[in-house]
Amino acid sequence: MRLFFTLMVSPLILLADLEVSGHLDLDSQVYLSAPTSKHKNSFTAKQTLELGYSRDNLNIFTKLYAQEDYYDTLTQEEHNDRTFIRADELYLKYDFSDDSVKLGKSIEFWGALEFRNIVDAFNPDDFRVDMFNTSKLGVWNLAYSHFTENGEFSLIVKLNEPDQKMPASPYVYYFLPEGIAYEKSLESSDGTQRPSLYLKYSGTTDSEYPLDYAFIYENGYDSQRYFTTNATAISAPTEFRQKAYLVNKFMTYNTLVVDATLIKLEALYVKVDGQENVGDYSHIAFGVEHTLENFENGAALGLIAEYYRYDTYEDDKYSDLELFETMQNDIFIGARYTFNNEEDSSIVGGVVADTEYAEQTYYMQFESRFMEEFKVAFDYYYVNPSQSTLTAYKLLGKHQRVGLNVAWYF
Amino acid sequence: MMKILTLLLFAMSSLFSLTNYEAAQKSEAVMSGFEDATSQMQMTLVNARGQEKTRTMKMQVLEGKDEDKSLMEFLTPADVKGTKFLSYEHIDKDDDQWMYLPALKRVKRISSKNKSGAFMGSEFSYEDLSAFNVKKYTYADKLDEVIVDGVAMYKGESKPVSKYSGYTKLITWMDAQTFLIHKVEYYDRKKKLLKTAYFEDYKNYGDVYRIGKITMKNIQNDKTTILVWSNEKIKTGLKAKDFHKRYLKK
Repeated sequence: MRLFFTLMVSPLILLADLEVSGHLDLDSQVYLSAPTSKHKNSFTAKQTLELGYSRDNLNIFTKLYAQEDYYDTLTQEEHNDRTFIRADELYLKYDFSDDSVKLGKSIEFWGALEFRNIVDAFNPDDFRVDMFNTSKLGVWNLAYSHFTENGEFSLIVKLNEPDQKMPASPYVYYFLPEGIAYEKSLESSDGTQRPSLYLKYSGTTDSEYPLDYAFIYENGYDSQRYFTTNATAISAPTEFRQKAYLVNKFMTYNTLVVDATLIKLEALYVKVDGQENVGDYSHIAFGVEHTLENFENGAALGLIAEYYRYDTYEDDKYSDLELFETMQNDIFIGARYTFNNEEDSSIVGGVVADTEYAEQTYYMQFESRFMEEFKVAFDYYYVNPSQSTLTAYKLLGKHQRVGLNVAWYF
Repeated sequence: MMKILTLLLFAMSSLFSLTNYEAAQKSEAVMSGFEDATSQMQMTLVNARGQEKTRTMKMQVLEGKDEDKSLMEFLTPADVKGTKFLSYEHIDKDDDQWMYLPALKRVKRISSKNKSGAFMGSEFSYEDLSAFNVKKYTYADKLDEVIVDGVAMYKGESKPVSKYSGYTKLITWMDAQTFLIHKVEYYDRKKKLLKTAYFEDYKNYGDVYRIGKITMKNIQNDKTTILVWSNEKIKTGLKAKDFHKRYLKK
């Protein structure tokens, strides 16, 4: 009887500490400018479910994500291959007084800048999700952290490199050339199970102008990849495949607070380990964000300027173009207007100008809450690619889109 | 009879009258000594048409000698659930503030220079929600003794020290017996009355009082925000390390 009672009650105790949340999204986009071979719109249903269990110092967390593409439900049309379910996170974390241990599949964020975080290299992106909205793939890892009064030291071991799947070519953000297939299994120099090791130290200074800083050293697979093909001396390529290679990588990201201005720096230097195609490179980005307050009804305006610079150091190896690096000499100028109203409405917009290949990306996003449980978001993007150089945006082609997303949160 | 006696004593006390600064010190003293507190906070936003929207938050506060630390987690609305706000208050420099955005797993540094920004679309600004500390203000010498609804009150004027404050002047009414704040009028940078806050439902924990409800009425836009604290516990044993940035991501 006691056993029966224990078996009956135990799950109820667990459920009492279980937190459930998530959202259902309906996402539609219309492409006003896109290549003729692509679908001129997309309709996607998305679901995110998060389950968290906490008791004392133990946390167990999982996040599931699923999406269904309208074209994948049709029999007559060409499919987009964008329908899937994915476990983004599934980890167990235990907190000690000054330490913590985390084991499982998780997503981390590293970075300080607004438009793009060049050091946010722990998780690869899923290409099947909207190109302008980051969707990271969880990776299996083991992490130990030790906390000091103002800082944190972490040792993280990434246990594998996941494959990155690609949508089918009718989807507008399939960016490989027409007629080229993508082989999803990742090619790697030492096998995808070869662990990558990260040492991270971060903290905050207790000074008049406080600085949040982080330094990361990585020995393992680079987040930058390149493509291999099946081309031979007598035949053109029909298949592309991603290749991962080993590096020693040094990264830093920092935010300095000077009055109402945030000054940000992200930088990395990569020493490539015995690779015939990719040489050493660096990427640096500098940004300033200044907030002006006391607009109508307490609204605030954030002004943002960022500069990105990418350099390779071996002329006989791949350059930024072969590596599809889009932020190699780019300026971002943007603004965020926060209405500070009951619906938490905001407008974000800006332009990214490539100063080397003369291409520009313009965008604007508006979002707001309605009926307390719903959010609506509109966006507009316009990409004007280089006319003369074969950049990643040139492969995408001149691109213009409007999007609408409606989400129900629970 | 008791009321008459109280008023009589109040009139006599003017012979040994306090300065405005001393009254503020006593007011701070009766609210100090809680060491730390955990509570749930409900924020009701009422627009000019009387329509209401509710937000709920979980609060942790650590009392420092001059500098409090606080960690706030949003529970509703659902789209901001899990968003956390960590603040280290400072007297001699700007506060340290970070926001955790759970959808991105991102801890974002926030500039605290502009103290007058509205908090979560409410009629409270960030400086309204920071802990009261006498050092944040300068005080006019004059302290009036007034009767409000039959209760003896002290009425005094103060000015924020910070040039980044959204206010030029505050007029405070406090209970003459308990030194608990009853009402504050906030004057904007144009020296016009902007908001009035009413403080109610104080909880007495023996040697310290804690506020239970604040109603902030914006005179200029007719909006009101009501903050109500519930399930508050003090002296729970929280330490400075419980306000480490690591707990933003927990």
